[in-house]
Amino acid sequence: MVWLPVLTPLIGGVVIAALRRQQTAARMASVLAMVATVVAAATVAASQAAGEWTWGGGLDLAVSVTGFGRIMVILVPLIAALVLIFAAANSEEDRAIVKLLVVLTWFVAAMELLVIAADFLTLLIGWELVGAASWVLIGHEWRDPDRPRSAREAFVTTRFGDLGIYVAAGAVFAATGSLQYTDLAAASPGWLAIVAGGLVLAAAAKSAQVPFSPWLFSAMAGPTPVSALLHSATMVAAGAYILIRLQPTLSMVNWFAPVVVGIGLITALAGGMVALAQQDLKKALAGSTSAQYGLMLIAVGAGFTAAAAGQLTAHALFKSLLFLAAGVALHARGTLDLSKLRLGSALPRIAVLFGIGALALGAVPPLGAAFTKEAVLAGAFHSGIWVGLGTAVAGLLSTVYAGRLHMLGYGPGPIGEIHGSPRRGEVTALGILAALSLALGILWLPGGDAILEWAADGAILATTRAEIVLSWALVALGIAVVAVAWRRGRLVTLGLPSRTREFIAGWWGLPSAARVLIVDPVSRLGQGLFVADRKVVARLADAVAGFGELMSRILKRVVDRSIDAIVWGIGAGTIQGAEISRLADDRGVDGAVEGLASGIGVAGTQSRRTQTGMSYHYYTMMMIGLVVAIAVAAFWR
Amino acid sequence: MLTLAIFVPLAVAAITLAIPKRHERLARPLAIWTSFIPLIVVAVSWARFEIGTGFQLVESLPWIPSLGISYTVGVDGLSLPLVALTAVLFTVSIVFPVDDRGKARAYYATFLFLEAISLGVFLSLDLILFFVFWDLSLVGMYFLIGVWGHGDAQRSALKFFLYTLLGSLALLLGILGIYLYTNPRTFDMVEIIATLPVPAGGLAATLIFVAVGIGFAVKTPLVPFHTWLPPAHVDAPAPASTILAGVLLKMGTYGFIRISLQMLPETFQRYALPLGIIAVVSILYGALVAMAQTNLKRLIAYTSVNHMGYVILGIAAAGALGIGSEASRSIAMTGAVVEMVAHGLITGALFLVSGSILARGKTYELDQYGGLAGKAPRLAGITILAAFASLGLPGLAGFVAEFQIFAGTLGVFPWLAAIGLLGIVITAALFLRMIQQVFLGDLPVRWEGWKDLRRVEMWALVPLGALVVIIGVAPAWLIRVIDTLSQVVARG
Repeated sequence: MVWLPVLTPLIGGVVIAALRRQQTAARMASVLAMVATVVAAATVAASQAAGEWTWGGGLDLAVSVTGFGRIMVILVPLIAALVLIFAAANSEEDRAIVKLLVVLTWFVAAMELLVIAADFLTLLIGWELVGAASWVLIGHEWRDPDRPRSAREAFVTTRFGDLGIYVAAGAVFAATGSLQYTDLAAASPGWLAIVAGGLVLAAAAKSAQVPFSPWLFSAMAGPTPVSALLHSATMVAAGAYILIRLQPTLSMVNWFAPVVVGIGLITALAGGMVALAQQDLKKALAGSTSAQYGLMLIAVGAGFTAAAAGQLTAHALFKSLLFLAAGVALHARGTLDLSKLRLGSALPRIAVLFGIGALALGAVPPLGAAFTKEAVLAGAFHSGIWVGLGTAVAGLLSTVYAGRLHMLGYGPGPIGEIHGSPRRGEVTALGILAALSLALGILWLPGGDAILEWAADGAILATTRAEIVLSWALVALGIAVVAVAWRRGRLVTLGLPSRTREFIAGWWGLPSAARVLIVDPVSRLGQGLFVADRKVVARLADAVAGFGELMSRILKRVVDRSIDAIVWGIGAGTIQGAEISRLADDRGVDGAVEGLASGIGVAGTQSRRTQTGMSYHYYTMMMIGLVVAIAVAAFWR
Repeated sequence: MLTLAIFVPLAVAAITLAIPKRHERLARPLAIWTSFIPLIVVAVSWARFEIGTGFQLVESLPWIPSLGISYTVGVDGLSLPLVALTAVLFTVSIVFPVDDRGKARAYYATFLFLEAISLGVFLSLDLILFFVFWDLSLVGMYFLIGVWGHGDAQRSALKFFLYTLLGSLALLLGILGIYLYTNPRTFDMVEIIATLPVPAGGLAATLIFVAVGIGFAVKTPLVPFHTWLPPAHVDAPAPASTILAGVLLKMGTYGFIRISLQMLPETFQRYALPLGIIAVVSILYGALVAMAQTNLKRLIAYTSVNHMGYVILGIAAAGALGIGSEASRSIAMTGAVVEMVAHGLITGALFLVSGSILARGKTYELDQYGGLAGKAPRLAGITILAAFASLGLPGLAGFVAEFQIFAGTLGVFPWLAAIGLLGIVITAALFLRMIQQVFLGDLPVRWEGWKDLRRVEMWALVPLGALVVIIGVAPAWLIRVIDTLSQVVARG
């Protein structure tokens, strides 16, 4: 029962694969599978079910749907359903679409497992399977040699973070003999600190925080629906989700709060500027994903998990909307270059929908996203004035880049050439996502914070009047900045020199730093070791041959001339090699040996030569062993 | 009954040689059907195995009573999974099509001979019997590589033979050392494990430990004793590589548990940390050098060094009595044994796949390929499955093992586990690159006519893939059996 949110998409994927010859049916099936998963998830969430799957040897996979997991378990397939409606409507790449739908469905299954996990083993399984699915999805167009490379970069980066979960799991097990979340609190402070360290590492990598953020750029190689899902409710969401889930226990570690807040704040600021400086619509959105997850981490670190959970939910809705709309833009213009889009007049309906997403991203009231961002801001001020101010700046950045993206992407402009207009299914998906983003505005109604606290099973801090004033003033300022820059035609370049802009837009040089500091040295180390290894091989071969030679010489001297022939064989076989070995053969080597050897089935002179040589080696060794054995046995008593 | 698993293949091997030349094509079906006998024996043994007790299904005959040598076979939580692995791998390797160079009788006879010998190594409960089988395994493998190999096969075979022979000499000395402490003199392994005759702490115990350790380290192989492995694999025919990696390497790790750990526990405990360090060196060294490879088969060979490092790390942690909790040591041990089985299945599959690729493309050089996924979806699918299993993806067998090894070791040698974990990132990078180079990207024009896997190849590969998935998803049936051993070892 509790496994249904995992099993439904898993089986759904198999069904889709089976229908690969009937394209339409396969597309329908993919959407239906997701709708069924939403229903299953809702049922499970309502009953707060739990379950176990035994591995033996004291290991059990435990799952339960509690806390924020109740919302998340529904949110994941809900967004996936809309993304799949969009993907299924897209019929350009007929041949590969079924594979895409199958893996997207399994991607959801893996994420659902991660969401309902109640122990670190199950968490790790879901966590890594999400990563593997993303490898397939990012490299979907595998015939293009660059895409598999991007997929590999993304997978390897996030897998480095996965090590954190391995470490956390091992530490919990060492401390308590159990892997359950519920036993985590029983761990001693030392082990708990290791668990926290591991989880922070894993979460930072998965949620694209500094210094791991650039993998999201690699992930851009995937098709639009993949980005939409990966940036919203799946994959990237996992990092923030697990910290929200385990914050109550992890916060007992005294450095947990400052470290998480620090990572979040740095990423929110740095990522915000990346989003601002980018000239590529999807990459700008990717930069903003890192920044938005940075905001969630600030809230988690500050101890207000409900604010983080609210932000995660709001972000999932508007970010999938924005990515899908970006896909429409790519389709229409054949490029994502922000200086060439301005689709407002060409695609007015999509422009409105994108605008709703942008308003949410910019945290403009009365959208729900504004409410959650203010909750984050309140939490940030609670943990320190500088954190609060930094978060306020990050918020200002988000308003500015959201406005910039909207104006450059879907702002008024010449109609120009349109390569393809959006299909009905695509518009439907965008419309529903926009409606959901708007609907989240109910959080502004009285009791909104109570709803959030109940849904997220965590705390939220009421915003003070000063914070509201600051926040709204910053939103207004941000909009004003965009308006001024737009009017002056500076919105594309921001008036920055192009080298600075490119440096920031390229994630502050992090990708090249990673290449120079990690990737290249490691592969050079591998090359160097291999060269050394081959030299050692050669040396050892010589050494072994030398040893054989020495043994043969000694034996030749020691052993009586009466077994002359065999000894000659030993000596000759090793010293002078095969040619003399054959002579020795002719001189009358033990017939039985040879009979046995050829009996085993080696014909032809070449192999026989080696093999008779070998028998001598073999018997040399056996004789030495025997001599030693007899000697030891004789003298020991 | 276990005796049947050894002697039926041995007898049929002799019969195969006696087949007249004109009926040569009978050799293959005869060998295939014969290889099912050990499988049946394993299945029955698994059903009759009682969880929680020591050596079972023991069969014994006096051999040289005056020296305390007997023919004794039996299974426990360690050997039963390995015997099962051996039986499975031999069946699929015999089924896998190979160019027998017109010597079908000899090829299949050698395979059956080697199967009997390999089963004997894991089933023996007498040290001399164990050693005899151990040494004969070299002979069988030597012929498989030397006669049916390619490239510089004879030189590689010679290196393999000489090197591992030196290892067995050290092992023999160690075995004799243990024997000399028994009173009354016996080679009975059950007896030795129960009474632990070698006094702990002395020079003698250390010498014996080092001697058998070298023997096993060569076979496993551990860095720096691994240099025989890559050339042997590269030049061996695919099914022989599968057996070499899947079965013969396990003899080394089996020996570390059965003899080093179980017969010399206190000495093992003292040297557990150094052994763990060597294991971590093997993990990283194997992974890094594998990453530098341009040759598919050598790449897989070096990942074996890496994976055997995981196994030894788990064993070292399990034997470090007094450090960490009993539960941590126990899952490290279970992980090590699961890794032996998982590595056998996974690497076995990878080597068979590399044989299929060689048969079609005539080269192992990775940069000669590309884009094959479109031409050969079955080949790509199975290779990707095996590669992901090898890099430790959850849901597949390798993960079950590696998770337990690392989770257990972290409670015993936290730093070693943390450093060793880097290995799984490197293997991820190198396997993904391998997949990319062979199967993704542009298809070179000359592979336009590339053929996907034939049915007979699928017959060999699909069972391996299925077992990898089954163990990855529902390993309880396997872990329960191994746990029988782990609890005993972890308790000390």
